[in-house]
Amino acid sequence: MLFLLFFIACETDITGLDEAAYPTNGDVFLDTFSSGLNYAAFGGSVPTAFQVDKKVSYNNSLASMRVDVPNTNDPNGAYAGGSYFTSMPRNLSSFDALTFWAKSSQAASIDVVGIGNDLGENKYQASISGLKVNTTWKKYIIPIPDPSKLTAEKGMFFFSEGPENEKGYSFWIDEVKFEKIGTIAHAQAKILDGQTQNITSFIGVSNLISGLVSVFNLPSGVNQAVNASPHYFTFASSDNTVATVNQQGAINIVGTGSSTITATLGNTPATGSMVITSRGNYVAAPTPTKAPKDVISLFSEAYSNAPVDYYNGYWAPYQTTQSSDFIVNGDRVLNYTNFNFVGIQFSSPTINASAMSHLHLDIYLPNNIVAGTALKVQLVDFGADNAFGGNNDVSATTTFTTPVLQSQKWVSIDIPFRNLPTLTSRKNLGQIIFEGTNISSFYVDNVYFYNDGSVISLEPSTAAPTPTAPAANVISIFSNAYTNVAGTDLNPGWGQSTQTSVVKIAGNDTYKMSGLNYQGIQFGSNQNVAGKTNLHLDYYTANSTLLNVYLISPGPVEKAYKLTVPSTGGWRSIDIPLSTFAPVNMSNIFQIKFDGNGDVYVDNIYFY
Amino acid sequence: MHTVRFFVLSFFLLSFTSCDVDTTQKIEKKNWQLVWSDDFEGVLGASPDAKKWTFDIGNSGWGNSELQYYTNKSENVALDGSGNLVITARKESFGGAAFTSARIKTQGLFAQKYGRFEARLKTPYGPGIWPAFWLLGDNINEVGWPQCGEIDIMELRGQQPNIIHGSLHGPGYSGGSAITAPHGLMNNRYDANFHVFAIEWNEDSIDYYVDDYLYQRIKKSEVKGTWVYDHPFFIILNVAVGGNYVGFPTEQTPFPQKMVIDYVKVYQEN
Repeated sequence: MLFLLFFIACETDITGLDEAAYPTNGDVFLDTFSSGLNYAAFGGSVPTAFQVDKKVSYNNSLASMRVDVPNTNDPNGAYAGGSYFTSMPRNLSSFDALTFWAKSSQAASIDVVGIGNDLGENKYQASISGLKVNTTWKKYIIPIPDPSKLTAEKGMFFFSEGPENEKGYSFWIDEVKFEKIGTIAHAQAKILDGQTQNITSFIGVSNLISGLVSVFNLPSGVNQAVNASPHYFTFASSDNTVATVNQQGAINIVGTGSSTITATLGNTPATGSMVITSRGNYVAAPTPTKAPKDVISLFSEAYSNAPVDYYNGYWAPYQTTQSSDFIVNGDRVLNYTNFNFVGIQFSSPTINASAMSHLHLDIYLPNNIVAGTALKVQLVDFGADNAFGGNNDVSATTTFTTPVLQSQKWVSIDIPFRNLPTLTSRKNLGQIIFEGTNISSFYVDNVYFYNDGSVISLEPSTAAPTPTAPAANVISIFSNAYTNVAGTDLNPGWGQSTQTSVVKIAGNDTYKMSGLNYQGIQFGSNQNVAGKTNLHLDYYTANSTLLNVYLISPGPVEKAYKLTVPSTGGWRSIDIPLSTFAPVNMSNIFQIKFDGNGDVYVDNIYFY
Repeated sequence: MHTVRFFVLSFFLLSFTSCDVDTTQKIEKKNWQLVWSDDFEGVLGASPDAKKWTFDIGNSGWGNSELQYYTNKSENVALDGSGNLVITARKESFGGAAFTSARIKTQGLFAQKYGRFEARLKTPYGPGIWPAFWLLGDNINEVGWPQCGEIDIMELRGQQPNIIHGSLHGPGYSGGSAITAPHGLMNNRYDANFHVFAIEWNEDSIDYYVDDYLYQRIKKSEVKGTWVYDHPFFIILNVAVGGNYVGFPTEQTPFPQKMVIDYVKVYQEN
């Protein structure tokens, strides 16, 4: 605070001057804070990590800056980081580097040091990642990507460093100043990591130029990569009626045709370009109609999406696929270019799609389809370890070709899990992998798992359908809709392991059998149903794979009828012709029996 | 471009007490006649003119523990089609070496006693990169080194891309004991632009120039050792990787590295 008061007083005489008159002072910290310099710690960092050290300094100067990096789990903050900035801008355009001397209490790699962090727009931020320091003083150089931009800069220096191997340590920085070194050479600049990216696009699409790289050869002959903000680059569109690009490298497609986006860094042309072919107006993927409760979404504006690690894993060394995702009319669209294969990962957490029946995705192939064009969609379940590998992963691949694949139109792909026998589990889904043949690029939207109703929960959420048979025609064993045969025993002790109970489902009494092996129902009195035509029952089971129902007459004489399980879609109502149960004596029925497995809900057991 | 004169100021004060070295040098004009030259005109990828240049091939270390294998492949030595010869040091395994490069010479094709030897070139850079433009006594196969004499017109350590050295190696003053002087650039580097490196040599002395700035004069009368510079010398251009003079390249050394030579010219005084 002392610094602030003192230097504000110093600067009052030059306020109000125009930009050209901003001070050209290059000193940041020599023996103390330079004129007008402030410090602020970054959010989440240890606020007291930085202090002026009067005991340790470079070349026995009066003081240095010391940074105490915290240990992992320090309650005061996770890292040390902050910015030294001025309230009055400075004109630094005559310098070509920020230099400083540094040493540390142990060999370490400082996460980031740089310039241009003004706690505001950080317009001209430039930084070095992974600065190697050790226990002897050494001079370091941060080349300014384009000094001509720094005519009114407030961000003099910043740093951010976390624990090394979970341990804190200290480093010292001294003689921090902007310099004209003159022997920084061979500027290199790249956009899109130096690649030429060909994209097909539409009016209304926004893109961002990424992969900005700048490299300078230091006076020691070694190259130094500098993370330069887009503002240092000058972007250009070869046809502004097709695409415009702003200072941040944000592209807007405004017309039909072709345009190439390039950039320069100072006087250095950047390698890499984006060649845009705009086909005109955009046609969006079909809007999903599934109810959100039946969906687990990975990528869609129609739903809230589950956490996704990445939509492009850039799996080295064989993947060539780049991402040129775009936003059109507020709709994000995945755009895979230079496509051979690409993975989407969602491992933290993995997705349990047990209650889902399908994977859905919409794809758009902007190029013509040629012979042999194929798209493989692979679903990977990570197994109980929830991690890739571990000898418990399972997967299934579905291959799509023409006529499913169509050029220049959205194609909706729905893959039923029931068609994926090798995907033996979908409780820990972790990846979707696309692999293509003769597909150079494609768009993807609306990636989600959904339940078409065929996958049901263990317990029904709705009551069984209310019977419609007139009461006068009915002999009822178990139903809220009718008067049941009095004295019926729903759980006679036949040595079974099945657990039975009557539970309320949506207010309706429902007969539940858990862990079925077999289970009988003993009628309160023997029933003559010879005048009836059918046995009716409603059943619901999500997990049974075998279920039979029997009618029994004394003898005993019994006959099984096999029910289709699980009851995909929910409650199943079935009317079984009594003739099916021959030779059981329909004039003297006294028991019903179930056998099989799983958890089964039954309701409305009656003859009519 | 502004040359750094403080490197050599004390030398001139001793040797050129009559000269005003603070402003421009007053060096007597000589009447040079061009007798040999190569402008490296030719098509892209072509080898240097076989009537003028021959190759040193191999990875013997060349007496300096150099790390490269010298080849005559066009990847290592070729015309660029724009009037330059490019010698390229590459990081690639070849013939048991970790690097390749090239070394060309006029041995057996051209040698001359006295005169002006000059080259206009742009140096490579990076730790462990060692470009050189130099002369060796044509009698090396009879008397050996250093008795044959060696005149280094330009040597540069890639980790100091703004400093060159001009040196003289002879009996009693070779290797680390060579007679040498540096010439540095302020606010510039020898790899950023072309510079002209030259010596002017007569029976009494050898003068070392960068861009026609005299930064070292070695006089026969002052050399403590035998003066072995009264016979013809041939020309060598090479880019070494590693070696005693420059040290090892590091992981940070950018590859490939190119020395781009616009021309080599040799004059005699009329």
